[in-house]
Amino acid sequence: MNISLVSYGLGNLGSVVNMGKRAGAKVTLVSTPDEVLASERVILPGVGAFDEGMDRLQSRGLVEALREFAASGRPLLGICLGMQLLLDGSEEGTSPGLGLVPGNSVRFSESAGVRVPHMGWNTVEPTRADPLVEGLPDDSRFYFVHSYRVVPNREEDQLATTNYGGPFASMIRADNVVGAQFHPEKSHAFGMTILKNFAAA
Amino acid sequence: MSVVDRETRSYQQCTVTVMDTTDPDIEFDADGASSYVAFFNRRYAATLERAQRGERSDELAALVEKIKADGKGKPYDVVIGISGGVDSTYLTLSAVRLGLRPLCVHFDSGWNSEAAVDNIHNLVTSLGLDLYTQVVDWREMRDLQLAFLRSGTANADTPTDHAFGYVAYHQAQKYGIKHILSGSNLVSESILPTAWGYTSADSKHLKAIHRRFGAVKLKTYPVMSSLVRTLWYPYVRGISTHALLNYLPYHYSQVKQEIARDVGWRDYGGKHYESVFTRWFQGYYLPERFGFDKRLAHYSSLVLAGEMTRDEAVALLAEPNYPEDLRVQDHEFIAKKLGISVADLDAIIASPPRDYTDYPNSEASTKALFDFTARVGGILRKLGILR
Amino acid sequence: MSGFPRVIPVLLVSDGYLVKPVRFKGEHYIGDPINAVRIFNEKQVDELFICDIDATVKKTGVNYTLIEEIASEAFMPVGYGGGVASAAEARRITGIGIEKVVLGTAALTNPEAISEVAFALGSSSTVVSVDARRRLTGGWDTAVERGRRKTGMTPVEAARRAQELGAGEVLLSSIDRESTFSGFDLPLIEAVSQAVTVPVVALGGASGYDDFRPALDAGASAVAAGSMFVLNGKHRAVLISYPTPSQVRALSRP
Repeated sequence: MNISLVSYGLGNLGSVVNMGKRAGAKVTLVSTPDEVLASERVILPGVGAFDEGMDRLQSRGLVEALREFAASGRPLLGICLGMQLLLDGSEEGTSPGLGLVPGNSVRFSESAGVRVPHMGWNTVEPTRADPLVEGLPDDSRFYFVHSYRVVPNREEDQLATTNYGGPFASMIRADNVVGAQFHPEKSHAFGMTILKNFAAA
Repeated sequence: MSVVDRETRSYQQCTVTVMDTTDPDIEFDADGASSYVAFFNRRYAATLERAQRGERSDELAALVEKIKADGKGKPYDVVIGISGGVDSTYLTLSAVRLGLRPLCVHFDSGWNSEAAVDNIHNLVTSLGLDLYTQVVDWREMRDLQLAFLRSGTANADTPTDHAFGYVAYHQAQKYGIKHILSGSNLVSESILPTAWGYTSADSKHLKAIHRRFGAVKLKTYPVMSSLVRTLWYPYVRGISTHALLNYLPYHYSQVKQEIARDVGWRDYGGKHYESVFTRWFQGYYLPERFGFDKRLAHYSSLVLAGEMTRDEAVALLAEPNYPEDLRVQDHEFIAKKLGISVADLDAIIASPPRDYTDYPNSEASTKALFDFTARVGGILRKLGILR
Repeated sequence: MSGFPRVIPVLLVSDGYLVKPVRFKGEHYIGDPINAVRIFNEKQVDELFICDIDATVKKTGVNYTLIEEIASEAFMPVGYGGGVASAAEARRITGIGIEKVVLGTAALTNPEAISEVAFALGSSSTVVSVDARRRLTGGWDTAVERGRRKTGMTPVEAARRAQELGAGEVLLSSIDRESTFSGFDLPLIEAVSQAVTVPVVALGGASGYDDFRPALDAGASAVAAGSMFVLNGKHRAVLISYPTPSQVRALSRP
């Protein structure tokens, strides 16, 4: 089970590699378009600002490569900022996103009575059965840390919701492209289940 | 005979227990029963049977009375070494039920598993007991641990075991406590081939191995000389050690249920799984480097005690008790903790094993000392000078 | 507010060893940090903070080897603090697998460091540590370098400044309460929580799980403790403990 992890200067690679190993997968870092296109399945991590993320992908030629990879039907998982980059854009910046899932990211509003960023453990409610969330126990919780949340245009692209000052999309799926707002690599056994499921995809 | 000279002796297994020729000293009688059976029947069977039938309750009561009397006016009556395992947990629960006031002591080897720590916490919290933990400078411990692995001797768990005795004695002395309760018991530990591991109590041996293979000076690690261990504490300080479990009916399935129910004990699978090092040591290191599996001794003891049938033991032994993915994880963790690469650890394991007799040890002199003190003790008792 | 309150052990490291200082003076040796992290990880701890107390005071710099070893045992967020003064260092630390960087002395004596790190990592990965000490005349001061120097700011001022400069979280410690098992400094927590909108993590004085609810009610988003999770009983025996998942869940407001 091979997973390619995109290394573009943002995001917590060490933890994903470690958890992948524990989950029984082989995780390799990739940073060039060729490497991405030669992969079986790809994880796009990311922590930080939207524009910086897109800039870095762009300067490495990875924007086109990721679009092509997604078009080939192979599994692509975006984590945290990586998930937000999958959509068309974000309130946080001006760059266009990868456009693989129609929608945008918007900032959490303090007026909803919550502190921003959303930081901590929270539950995730899948909206339907899906191989990615198979085997998750009822008391599953995941670690979130983000100030922006995704709003997919199509309701069917919403895979799971989480409540933080109101429900928001914590997981998305458009065919072979999936996203998780939380950090599976920081979510103990629950995150491990997600990664194991993705490795088997 | 040493495990190191693994000569071509044809394989044979005891017909009563599951001990076999991976113990080079084993002998069989005409019926194929190993020497351990006869030894057990001669030495332990009667005592164990009486205990299991509850017939030792008078002796137990007398012992408890003595302990309580000696403990009057002191903050505790007994010191108990706990590890999070079944034996020491049940021992502590039994002591409290008998009305004793224990001080629990624990040696933190740096290898505690999460389950062990949890069990210790639940035990002291649910019974409201005080705990003392001995810690050792990790760099010393790591160095000593590596030294033993490099020495190639079978008892690589010596660094942890050697320190246990010190902690209990030291705390007992501190509070003027005259009694230590030990979790050792005949049900699971009546058999232990000497070829499978030299005693951890030999400080001369420990220091010799450390001198040869170690690099960090031992400043916080408690080295206890045999003289202190066998003479000073027991005879001068008058601290006696009692294997209390040998006075009680002791049946594992019932015991495990009780401690789970009464003190929140969690079963983590496998004897000695409370230490990550020990489970790797017994589950991988010994079989891989030395060719024997300590489970044989453990199960054989249980068989002789009537806790397990031979068939059950054989079935259990056929099961892999150490899943490979856990083994690999432990292996990497141990290498990381010891500060060496996995390749280095593999190289150590691949190098030829050695016998403890290859290094300085005080086996002969200790035996002589033991015999001497036993004889003197006997005389003194006869003269009424020693109780 | 939805989302569970976090319960966070704080581990202090000195010379590569786990230690527990008593009231910022002297140290009590605890053991090997790697095994401690592994055990907390198996206990499904919400989050962990590791602070290298030598790094700033003795200027030993960031111990990347130790951080790497710790990160490989942790499948939950880990915050690291101690001697981090630049965005480059912060990036390197998070690249290894650490979730957040805790800025202490550097932040309050060189505020641009906060902005730099927040810009490089994002606010949510930037924590500023505010160590408060009570004034005899009432109120508190903020101190740096493990309590050795006063900054002239109150904790409220320091926390506000940190948020303005981009910090996504404040780690608020009571120097007076640390290691005393006498409960959290609730007025301190209240004052600072009301002054900022970023999450506040309360640290210092926890003696038992019953202390957590009052701290959360006072406005903290998370509670942290050092001694309580590594020491047990009157003999201060080294023993790691942590509430069960259901005990942690019980802290959520219904």
